[in-house]
Amino acid sequence: MTGLDALPPGASVRGRADGFADYLVGPAARRRLLTDRFIETFEAWGYGFMVTPLVEPLDTIAAGVPGARQSALFRFMDSDGAMLALVGERTVSVARVVATQLHEGPFPLRLCYAGSVLRNQAPNAGRRRESLQAGCELIGASGLAADAECIALAAAALERGGVEHIQVDVGHADFIPGLLESAGLDATARDEVLAALARRDLVAVESALAETDAADAERRLLLAFPTLRGGREILDTAAGGLRGARPQRALQELAQLWDLLEAHAITDRVHLDLGAVRDWDYYTGPTFEVFSVDSGFALGSGGRYDTLLSRFGSTCPATGFVLHVDRCHDSIVRRAGTLDPPDVLQVSWETDAQARALELARGLRSRGVAAACDLVAGGDGDVLVSASGARWSVLGHHEHGSVDAALAALGRHLP
Amino acid sequence: MTGLRVALPGGTLFESACDLLNAAGIARLDPARFDRELSVRDGNDVYVKVRPTDVPVYVEMGGCECGIVGKDVLWESSRECYELADLGFGRCRLVLAAPRDSALARGDWPQALRVATKYPVSARRFFAARSLNVVLIRLHGSVELAPLTGLADCVLDITATGRTLAANNLVEIVEAGTSTARLIANHAALKTRNDQVGALAVALRRAVAQRLTAGAA
Repeated sequence: MTGLDALPPGASVRGRADGFADYLVGPAARRRLLTDRFIETFEAWGYGFMVTPLVEPLDTIAAGVPGARQSALFRFMDSDGAMLALVGERTVSVARVVATQLHEGPFPLRLCYAGSVLRNQAPNAGRRRESLQAGCELIGASGLAADAECIALAAAALERGGVEHIQVDVGHADFIPGLLESAGLDATARDEVLAALARRDLVAVESALAETDAADAERRLLLAFPTLRGGREILDTAAGGLRGARPQRALQELAQLWDLLEAHAITDRVHLDLGAVRDWDYYTGPTFEVFSVDSGFALGSGGRYDTLLSRFGSTCPATGFVLHVDRCHDSIVRRAGTLDPPDVLQVSWETDAQARALELARGLRSRGVAAACDLVAGGDGDVLVSASGARWSVLGHHEHGSVDAALAALGRHLP
Repeated sequence: MTGLRVALPGGTLFESACDLLNAAGIARLDPARFDRELSVRDGNDVYVKVRPTDVPVYVEMGGCECGIVGKDVLWESSRECYELADLGFGRCRLVLAAPRDSALARGDWPQALRVATKYPVSARRFFAARSLNVVLIRLHGSVELAPLTGLADCVLDITATGRTLAANNLVEIVEAGTSTARLIANHAALKTRNDQVGALAVALRRAVAQRLTAGAA
């Protein structure tokens, strides 16, 4: 190892950009497998797999993504001076495709995708700047059945991928803004409270409310955040004393959604969380986040975004979600401890037995066993093919006979 | 059940943080124990003493479920944590201060201002809202020396009593914010371990309220 003094000054010589990762053999395979499991589940629910580009015009992204998230984009200039950006999420891309190429349906459209997204985070923060996301969009369905389907599908995909002990928190994007309106707060005070909630600063929420004359029932609810969570019963608690029609409507939608989730048989993993939302200018109805005790970050999130497609010239209700593959992988590894790399049988051979060794390796692969054949004679692999007659030595067991006999013997000795 | 991991800020807030946790009946912490041990187990919970600026890092990344840290640290941090309660202690202010005999001290804002600070993020936000032409000079300690040596025109710095400012012939021009200790929580922990995190928040709030009442009596 070269000492720091001997290294040239300046950044990464033959190094890797900070916040980006190499995935070596075991983890890379597991990460791909996890993505495959997610996509398989999406497809099993009727969602068609599609691919969108890694790069979008900045204007396209700006049309769909809130300002705060735009600042975290990697941007660059095209040869004609147009600004491009690496995508920070892929829902906007899907919305663009639907509005421009699939606007004639047939609706509802069920679409899914998986791909890298990039965020220009501060270096050395321990955060990923490139991460893998897999997601679904259900477009052209305005009913709560669509929202329930997305929540149930997100949970099903995570469980199929091996993520254990998941918990889904379901909220409604219109509840808090509606509550603030019906509490009689003026626009300035409303914005102040929403901004404080958006940056998760509950101390500021409290002091912003202290300076207003919010009605008691509403004030009590707003201050109860973030404890406004639980099963269907919290909806009744929350509704008590509320006068505004807007927050009432949000609560009614959540009640219907809960019944649908019960029909999907997943309410044992669901909490209603009335304070769960942050992106009020993006989501328009029910929203959700998925957690596991094995991760400090949300593993997935989603919700209804009925206004997004209109920004691309096609009015259409939509709901969807995204799963963070890397965070899911972290969570699985944290629970399992170190995971072994996949098994590969090493086939070695004595001089003159190479052809028979290759034949054996082909036979193994056709039976779904990964096998690598030595490139030179004389190794000490898991399988030894001897030149003196047709003899095989498998994991210490000696066998005679044809390749088929050897494969049958292997079947007996392999785990 | 697994206990909570709580990050405590080393430095001026440390003993007060331990005192409040003890007064709230949540823990029985002896601050001196942290001189010998990096992490202290108390019942099911584990307390770690880290640099104040590291508290939001531990909490956001899930190394700890909760933390106690000054608001001034949160101003500077880009970490996303839930801020659950104002704990009242560790009160200090972030102020812009200039030499007593300067034009700024007389109320004349110059065209361009060189500001020395240990709080560049807060400074950028503070001056951006005032559209002043400011050159920020980030220092890591003793910023009050900057005006004395001509390095900067003024400082944006934390003051608790104002004594250090006065001793260096600096007067307060304007206040940028008031800071107290806060209880912060990890996003996922707030959801997956809501009972425990909620109980901690409630107990600490009650202890803070009792202190206020006792102080008023």
